[in-house]
Amino acid sequence: MKRLSKHDLATVLTDWAEHYTLICPTRQPPGDIIFDDFNPETFTMDYGKPPLSPKTCFLPHSEVIFTVQDGSYQTASSSDKRLIFGIRACDACGLQQAQRFMTRDKNDVYYQARWDTTLKVVVACSGPQNETCFCTTTQSGPIAADGFDLQVFDLGDELFFEIGSSAGNNLTVGRSFSDLDQKTGRDALAAFRERAQAVIPVKPEIKAAIDALKTRSPDEVWDFLGRKCITCGGCAFVCPTCTCFNIYDQAVSANSGQRIRAWDACLYGGFTREASGHNPRPSQALRLQRRHEHKLRYYHALDIGRALCGCVGCGRCSDFCPVHIGTLEVAQTIVAGATP
Amino acid sequence: MTNSIVEFEDADLVLVTGSNTTAQHPLIGTRIINAHARGTKLIVVDPRIIPLAEHADLHLRHNIGTDVAVFNGLMNVIIADGLHDRNFIMTRTEGFEALHDIVSRYTPNVVQAITGVPAGDIVAAARMYAQADKAMIAYAMGITQHTTGTDNVKVLADLAMLTGHLGRPSTGINPLRGQNNVQGACDMGALPNVYCGYQSVAAAEIRAKFETAWGRPLNDKPGLTITDMMSAALRGDLKAMFIMGENPMMSDPDTTHIERALANLDFLVVQDIFVTETARLADVVLPGAAFSEKTGTYTNTERRVQLAHAATAPPQDARADWEIICALSMHAGYPMVYDSPRDIMREINTLTPSYAGITYERLEACHGLQWPCPTPEHPGTPILHRDKFTKGLGTFLPCDFKPLAEVPDEEFDFILTTGRISYQYHTGTMTRRTNLLEREAPHAQVQIHPEDARRLSIGNCDLVEISSRRGTVRMQAEITDQVPRKVLFTTFHFHEAPVNKLTNPACDPISKIPEYKGCAVMIRRIS
Repeated sequence: MKRLSKHDLATVLTDWAEHYTLICPTRQPPGDIIFDDFNPETFTMDYGKPPLSPKTCFLPHSEVIFTVQDGSYQTASSSDKRLIFGIRACDACGLQQAQRFMTRDKNDVYYQARWDTTLKVVVACSGPQNETCFCTTTQSGPIAADGFDLQVFDLGDELFFEIGSSAGNNLTVGRSFSDLDQKTGRDALAAFRERAQAVIPVKPEIKAAIDALKTRSPDEVWDFLGRKCITCGGCAFVCPTCTCFNIYDQAVSANSGQRIRAWDACLYGGFTREASGHNPRPSQALRLQRRHEHKLRYYHALDIGRALCGCVGCGRCSDFCPVHIGTLEVAQTIVAGATP
Repeated sequence: MTNSIVEFEDADLVLVTGSNTTAQHPLIGTRIINAHARGTKLIVVDPRIIPLAEHADLHLRHNIGTDVAVFNGLMNVIIADGLHDRNFIMTRTEGFEALHDIVSRYTPNVVQAITGVPAGDIVAAARMYAQADKAMIAYAMGITQHTTGTDNVKVLADLAMLTGHLGRPSTGINPLRGQNNVQGACDMGALPNVYCGYQSVAAAEIRAKFETAWGRPLNDKPGLTITDMMSAALRGDLKAMFIMGENPMMSDPDTTHIERALANLDFLVVQDIFVTETARLADVVLPGAAFSEKTGTYTNTERRVQLAHAATAPPQDARADWEIICALSMHAGYPMVYDSPRDIMREINTLTPSYAGITYERLEACHGLQWPCPTPEHPGTPILHRDKFTKGLGTFLPCDFKPLAEVPDEEFDFILTTGRISYQYHTGTMTRRTNLLEREAPHAQVQIHPEDARRLSIGNCDLVEISSRRGTVRMQAEITDQVPRKVLFTTFHFHEAPVNKLTNPACDPISKIPEYKGCAVMIRRIS
């Protein structure tokens, strides 16, 4: 482990930014937090839970995957050396789930290229970022178990750095870091973890809902929630483990064009509609059921790693769903039974 | 809206009419569903089985265009049963006798004969609405887009005043505006007869105020409405038009007539973010900035003024609308000198009493302010007409039922009604360029009742031809009992099936809104 005076963080980040495209939490006017290129003016350590997870760094909202020009095509693949600073533990877990899914049986070259060229620095949470955090339930935080090159613990005046890889270690070499003896580091981490876990309440409804879904599908719950869902797809877009995309072609000129992929969501009817017009998931109730069962029941064991399920407890769907049917509310409804 | 969106949650009863709320105002629709789940009664008055109707305690499926008769029927029952609010009528209103005279003719049986709604349902709806402590009315274009649109709104206002469901939390008459800033555009005087804040161009003292502020003499005559402009262009009385962010070649009724009118102009300028069907006819196209490329305010359906910041710069030569207008004005010899939307808002504050206290400084620190907000200290007004109406006493404006301007006959035997779906927006200028939305709703479909489809040998997804006296379009059939028999429903989003070639340009005499919600058509399968 390494230690760094908080004083020196800006210098270190500036230094890293000379060697990497440094992406970090920024506060943009009038106050929105987004992961963006490092700028000492907008960089902030007081960023809570950014509305969009850093999955946007690996699967952007839309990206050109190849271009066609005069009958030949060229793959657009990223080889930019990047460093993401400030990933939350839940997101680090979500990113790993997504990466396994995207490369497990068929390698998504666009995703993998970004993954391979990106260093990841996690900043551990000392407590919940807001009331919808439930990483202690999904076993995905508040401290990352793996999936990082460096992990930062904010101890007031000092930052402790856990080394996750040799590339991570190299980031500390020749800079203002100093060594930390193993026992001091281990004790400090254990105390940090204990304090953090104590203040992030476990949400029993999540486990209860997972158990309930093992035995039956509460159709009345899906029907009720399906009638409320406005099909905006926002829950999928903010979700760190959602990776579905759609492909479309765009003409640029008479003899050139590009193939683009862009975020998609299983909440949309067209996601499963077949060429004949038949839709195996014809109602919003069934589409919501599919989404939540994927997170809580039918996830792939190889994808989830050490986590409890396919949801990493970041709570963003509950933060942003305009009609209050995030994972927490769905679990509560399953446990309480549907409605009147 | 007289009241605010959040108040739907606390209403004892919500009456929704002419609004497919969950599709077009989904956040309001969900508040209504949430309230209903907690015990709020829900009455839906709509010919179609809209999704909200599945939650409704009572669904009145009246014949298209018979709204006045339905609500006169409700008022008839309310007065007959003595359920009207005598105190409210006495202290807050005038003209009750005239109302009573007219609605007394609309007994439940008479109304059933006109509207097709069972008399018992008229009685039940009347009692539920009148007996609720706090009842809200929500309506949208299903009420206004009729030749009787103004009458339809008047009878809803009469109904609310008759029962005292006004001026208190979770009551009122709540039009759900059809676009995110149509309220703001009207507030800013994008109407032919008023300056900002609905100050009449014909009033001398108001005109003098604007003449002083702008240093120019101003015309005292109201201008033309859109529908009047098109007729004037066709006659040759109107020589040039400047169309901003509007696509009348798709959105105005009887578009064959619109195309002739625009072709007859000497000069047409269109300002938009894409080359629309209308822009293709223009002599000059000015590229505007999209919503995410400009800073400014939007005023939503509950009169809430909200600030939005530009996220990116406009592409190439595109500019924010205000910058284009200022530049044009400069060339025309009247320098409009503003350095930012904030600067323009300062002028709005000085000239618009209802916006006087709505400053950028305040908007930056809150989630918007609801007008009227007359001073910098004023908290805004969530509920209108609390102690008195703007004009003093509220006047009952009774109306008699008038049929659709074009009723079905033997040849054109269906009523076509038009509207929108969730995935596409208006004429598709923006949404049809959005891949995912286009996948969700790639082409026009016309809804037809299963019995009609069977009789005409129309199968699901068959190609059909729909004709009115004004034109013909082709699209796919969707067989569903969500529409009544002898009624067709479709949308105006798709240029491949421009349904406004069919619609009737007959207008409401006061608002000049066309009757998009009902015209006579025929339909046949294309083999």
